Amino acid sequence: MIGFIQSVLNILLLPGLAFTLIASILLAGIDRVLVARMQRRVGPPVLQPLYDVLKCLGKETIVPRKANEKVFLLAPAVGLISVLVTAMFLPIGNVSAIRTNADMIVILYLLTLASVTLIVGSAASGSPFAGVGLSREMVAMISYELPLVMVMLTVGFVCGNGLATFSLAKIGAYQAANGPLLLNPVLWPAAIALLFVIPCEVGQQPFDIDEAETEICEGVLAEYSGKPLAQFKMMHNVKMYVMSGLFCALFLNIQTGFFLADILIYCVSCVLVTFVSMSVPHAVTARFRVEQVFKFYWTVVTGCAALSLILVWIGL
Amino acid sequence: MLFDLDKKINEAIDDAASKSLWLYHINAGSCNGCDIEIVAALTPRYDAERLGCKLTGSPRQADIVLVSGPVTLQSRDRLIRTLAQVPEPYCLVTVGSCPCSGNVFKGSYAVCGPVDKYRHVDVSVAGCTPKPEAIMAGIAQAAAILKEKRKGMHE
Repeated sequence: MIGFIQSVLNILLLPGLAFTLIASILLAGIDRVLVARMQRRVGPPVLQPLYDVLKCLGKETIVPRKANEKVFLLAPAVGLISVLVTAMFLPIGNVSAIRTNADMIVILYLLTLASVTLIVGSAASGSPFAGVGLSREMVAMISYELPLVMVMLTVGFVCGNGLATFSLAKIGAYQAANGPLLLNPVLWPAAIALLFVIPCEVGQQPFDIDEAETEICEGVLAEYSGKPLAQFKMMHNVKMYVMSGLFCALFLNIQTGFFLADILIYCVSCVLVTFVSMSVPHAVTARFRVEQVFKFYWTVVTGCAALSLILVWIGL
Repeated sequence: MLFDLDKKINEAIDDAASKSLWLYHINAGSCNGCDIEIVAALTPRYDAERLGCKLTGSPRQADIVLVSGPVTLQSRDRLIRTLAQVPEPYCLVTVGSCPCSGNVFKGSYAVCGPVDKYRHVDVSVAGCTPKPEAIMAGIAQAAAILKEKRKGMHE
């Protein structure tokens, strides 16, 4: 009975729903403030993503005449739910809301599902701008999926004693015993690859080719307004948190034995990962072109991930 | 209890309406002077993001529509059609003297302005061209009007 109550609390409160929502809004806000400070301006308040989402909730929802209404309105909800469920698998220290034997495979599929809902939703909106946006989103997906899988495989090989493990709990236990994986030089290329995968997966500034507002009128989100837009914006925020949390789970899982200290370390490392992987590229670079993103990910990033995978494979 | 929660959420949304302003810019035959000043207001020097401003590319996501230019014959129908795509509540802010009076283009056969012939204008920022500070002040006024409009929607 106590175990049941604890798992319900885990899902609803601490590593689960409530923590995810608060953390993702704060993380997205901190990212915007950091970018602003790097450009020497004051920047928006930290709660700006919350204001954005609330404002969108209060606006009129317009469904275009050409759109397929059901798919158009359901896609954002499915996307938001899938990223929220993804967040359930992320461990804080050694506590996670849901744990299975193959967390990483579920995370991989749910993250892809979130991107697919973006594609399906924009395809259902019947706008040519959304059409261009969805083709770009597909290019982005093709670019980052392979390195992401390779990084996960590499970490799984290191932690699984010869057999690849896909359980974040086992990876956490390995790191508790041998120190965080980021200290292992063999895995540095993989960590760099994952740091590059994060902004593309989230759709942050230098890699936001799918919703380039100055080129293709917000692309995939071109026809969205009101509540579905709020759901997509929230999905974006949660995705940001999920990807930072995934990096922390794979490379920076530090366990002290005290849960509160674990939470604190986790939050700080999430902010650090967000700063390094999203805020800095956002502040210093302009948007990449579509084929540049594709080329970059299939050469540099995939190369980094493959290097680590090969080094781990031959047993270094 | 439930009623109170509903009211509180509505109040939070009203509050957010004045803090998150996504701008959409329509050039209705402007000479580009005002457009440059709008962009200048968004740059790090004037930092409109302090007010929660963000330039958006789609009229569907706009809260504040900035119109510049004297509304030429070619742009009139597009202006009306684009404004019809903006979800309520939104504010229409005209930038520069052209959209509110026609400025030096007044009386031309190709000019069908001013904008308030076609749509209610909430804030009009005068000047040829207005300074970025003036545009920011106009946006800040529009934010207050947006809050009132949003309140009017659920009362």
